[in-house]
Amino acid sequence: MSLTLCGRAFKEVAPRRYVATVEASELRRAIEAVVEEEAYISSISAIDMPKEGKIELNYVFWSVKHRAAIVVKVAVDRSDPVVPSISDIIPGAVKGEMEAHDLMGVVFEGNRSLRRGFLASEDVVVRGVYPLKKDSGV
Amino acid sequence: MEAKIIRYSPWVMHFNAGACNGCDIEVLAALTPLFDPERLGVKLAPNPRHADIIIVTGALNKKAAERLRRLYDQTPSPKFVIACGACAISGGVFADSYPVIARADKVVPVDVHVPGCPPRPEAVLYGIKRLLDKLGG
Amino acid sequence: MALVEIPIGPQHPALHEPVMLKVRADGEDVIGVEVNTGYNHRGVEKLLEKNSWVRGMYIAGRVCGICNAVHTQTYVQGVENLMGVEPPPRANYIRTIVMELERIHSHMLISAVMAEVIGFTTLFMLIMRDREKAMYLKELVTGNRVHADIHVFGGVKRDLDEVRRSRVLDELRRVEERLKYYRRVFETDYTIVRRLSEVGRIKKSDALKLSVVGPTLRGSGVRSDVRFEDPYAAYPEIPFSVIYRDEGDSWARMMVRLDEALESVNMIRYALERLPQGPAVPKAIPRTARPGEVFSRVEAPRGELFYHIVSAGGTNPYRVKIRTPSFLNVLNTESTYLGHRLADVPVILASYDPCISCMERVLVVDERSGRRVYMSLKELAQVGFG
Repeated sequence: MSLTLCGRAFKEVAPRRYVATVEASELRRAIEAVVEEEAYISSISAIDMPKEGKIELNYVFWSVKHRAAIVVKVAVDRSDPVVPSISDIIPGAVKGEMEAHDLMGVVFEGNRSLRRGFLASEDVVVRGVYPLKKDSGV
Repeated sequence: MEAKIIRYSPWVMHFNAGACNGCDIEVLAALTPLFDPERLGVKLAPNPRHADIIIVTGALNKKAAERLRRLYDQTPSPKFVIACGACAISGGVFADSYPVIARADKVVPVDVHVPGCPPRPEAVLYGIKRLLDKLGG
Repeated sequence: MALVEIPIGPQHPALHEPVMLKVRADGEDVIGVEVNTGYNHRGVEKLLEKNSWVRGMYIAGRVCGICNAVHTQTYVQGVENLMGVEPPPRANYIRTIVMELERIHSHMLISAVMAEVIGFTTLFMLIMRDREKAMYLKELVTGNRVHADIHVFGGVKRDLDEVRRSRVLDELRRVEERLKYYRRVFETDYTIVRRLSEVGRIKKSDALKLSVVGPTLRGSGVRSDVRFEDPYAAYPEIPFSVIYRDEGDSWARMMVRLDEALESVNMIRYALERLPQGPAVPKAIPRTARPGEVFSRVEAPRGELFYHIVSAGGTNPYRVKIRTPSFLNVLNTESTYLGHRLADVPVILASYDPCISCMERVLVVDERSGRRVYMSLKELAQVGFG
């Protein structure tokens, strides 16, 4: 079973869980297509992968129409993690992006509320450490 | 000696310094009619300037610890601190985590420790009672 | 009109998501709300990475003391998927009973807090008194009042014997009776209805955009409930109706909660009467998981709880991402305060059920004179009224 949105196939990895991997340049188009399906953004989870030299971002949506979780995966370079912000497409994403920025150091271009210290304590911020990175040492 | 005066109506302020809310709802439950703390004169103070006893819960997040110190300074003397729950005593499950100080007595002087994860409302009241007994001499 | 800035609850992060509201007001009207965070950050996600799967079970429960059983359920069902174990039906039923008991006491707690915030202290005390009945039931089933810790990989830690089963069924009747009474109070009481309706309205179209979840979403007319759409534990076998209302205001959210609590009573009764026979406590606990990832979702009392668990094999998780319902409900709703009066801020905040409302203390700064006045949220609600 798979689901096709905007010409992109989402593979069913588990019951009611559809996943697709996209390039950073296509991210906004993919998200726009997902939001059309009566979806709200559930979570933005960033996973640090030092071996592959990348950070994987998972944009998790729940579609009320399809009764399924739709996950858009995008990998960004670990040394320069920049990705376009989707907060103007779906305002619910602002805080998730702020969290990923504070704890993992991903920069979401276009989100103006990004800042350190949103969650992390000050000593971590002063040292410039991103706590959830595997080599953060905290 | 002037500590004796609070013995009859100790007003309690509750401060959550990064707790999971488990201790907080038990402290709140301890102040409700089933446990009836007002028979001891215990009342929840909304403001540190009215409080005699500060009940600290939680693993002391660094940002909240500054607030706790400031709150402690704002409370008029004589003042007492009860560390409530495993987290405020030793950090509990969060002891090794990066944003927590993990012990209330590193920030403010603690008079009574109430162990438990979370302590039952009876235990919270018993902690207050023990403090009052100590003051009564 | 003086412009005032009011930080609500900087030193009282009573929310399990650490939150401080900075309210900007022009006289009585709210013109801006900013949510500040970081006071309750405990590094749980990092802590889970450092500890083993089994230890994680206890840490996940301690993310939130009020909805701990659902946190453990989300974690355990995800990890069970990775470990390839399946809990027996009886364990699933017991888990469901505990989670529904938790929903009842959580909804009663927020109804009590809401009553206190609007200055109805008698109702607060009454609901808190009757909430102890629900806590007692939880203690009967799990052995603990707050942290249930009943989940374990492949089952539950404690079986439910016949004596306690009939006791719970018996006591449940009293809880139901009181819940019906409080529902009637919230539905008909003139003060409550006037105070809550038309306050903090979220339209159906905005609800999905803002990505609110749970009773907040259902109060805005969206029929979305994880228990129904994405069933887990014993929910596929237990009949229940998804409660939703179209009003979208604070009152609708409270009514959704009270109706849900009543629905939970029926679900617990159904589950207790049809409790399957067989084992519930596993003989051994698996300790390693296969590599892979799982998206685990559970309907917590406050809405959809989401865990993204990534495993690289072995005894420790690689990454666990937790997204709690209040993270969305409290942080994404800054715009709903605009245009309301100062006295409505605590009501709107409480209507999102931020675990316990930040009722401790606020600081009022008069920007013109620089005067600072301390008052509690409750006092603020009373001063601002009328």
